[in-house]
Amino acid sequence: MAEFEPKILAFCCNWCSYAGADLAGVSRLQYPPNIRIIRLMCSGRVEPEFVVKALSLGADGVLVLGCHIGDCHYMYGNHRTKKRMAILEKILGYLGIDPRRMRLEWISAAEGARFAEVVTEFTEEMKRLGPNPLKEVRA
Amino acid sequence: MIRNVRDLAKKWLEGKEVDAIFGLKEQDGYIAPYLFADASELDNLTISTEYRLCYTCRPPKENILALMQRREPNTKIGIVARGCEERALIELAKRGQVDLDKVKIMGIACTPEEAKECKCERPYPSNLVIGVKSPRVEGVSGDENINALLNKSLSERLEFWRHELSKCIKCYGCRNVCPMCFCKDCKMEQEVFSKTGWLPPEIPMFHFIRFYHISERCIGCGQCEKACPVDIPLLTIFRLLRRDVKDLFDYEAGMDVEQEAPLLTTLDEMPIKEEVPSGV
Repeated sequence: MAEFEPKILAFCCNWCSYAGADLAGVSRLQYPPNIRIIRLMCSGRVEPEFVVKALSLGADGVLVLGCHIGDCHYMYGNHRTKKRMAILEKILGYLGIDPRRMRLEWISAAEGARFAEVVTEFTEEMKRLGPNPLKEVRA
Repeated sequence: MIRNVRDLAKKWLEGKEVDAIFGLKEQDGYIAPYLFADASELDNLTISTEYRLCYTCRPPKENILALMQRREPNTKIGIVARGCEERALIELAKRGQVDLDKVKIMGIACTPEEAKECKCERPYPSNLVIGVKSPRVEGVSGDENINALLNKSLSERLEFWRHELSKCIKCYGCRNVCPMCFCKDCKMEQEVFSKTGWLPPEIPMFHFIRFYHISERCIGCGQCEKACPVDIPLLTIFRLLRRDVKDLFDYEAGMDVEQEAPLLTTLDEMPIKEEVPSGV
């Protein structure tokens, strides 16, 4: 059997992380092709429901990427994200979904290498964790 | 106890301290919220453990007190409130739903039995007027449901919730009875997140919406669990989340009128002001 290839969804904010992903591409950095990027205007747009929806529709992991604290284009968008994701992590744990399947990272527009690093790391971790058990719940 | 409540209500009404008393009225064996404007009606004023005043009536998905205040903004309303009801009022005021300046709270204490049954963390309001303080149920360590959940592995927890949540008949009782659920457009009814007319609801999406939305504002009244016709242990998660919100943000819903809710502030606890453009 072929090695398990996780499906990973990444929410990138328009101003930092998406530009960071772009930089990773322009700089020809290598990172696993398991990731699918959704561009949002701000990481503050990421509702925890999005993460749960992604997980229950079959994503094995979800990355939420935003600007560093203090760099948000909308001043406090990422402050909200940070607090929300802290609560989300707790709820995921209680519901029996591994909280490691959701990761929040700050990646600036200049951190193309960091983007590749985070995606590589996260993909490796999802491979170790195996397929998302929530997939089976959906009959 | 009820005699004291009636006497005080009468005193408030006659002394013009309040224009009306909002409480529970007993009539023909049924109990319903009622606005007592006349002292002669106060014989029917009652208190009940089965019923909370700060609940939201749907439709039109409005908090009863908020509705009354919008219609009569200058009326001073006295409210017979238990600890949880006072916490609900405080959280509602923080979210611009009710005006606490126009409210006078008649704080009544719950009996020790009631407090134990509700696993109440504070079975009396901050300004207790009638009754004696019953002991608090401190922390979550004594809760059997919570201990059972925490002793499970992740896959066992998923299995547990798969079983519990699949019983759901989507009556929306937990949401309707929740004093903190007042949105006109509820996400639980949005097709994107949860298909309408589909049973059992998406697991865990349907219930997750409420877990998350109420997480930091849950006052721990336990009405959702009591309302649930199929006995889903919703309080297990809400009580754990109350503990977590306290650990993470040092915030307890409904305890402090001054403290802003954590999801409405920046990481430095500075309130985030939503600027509404003029003319909208």
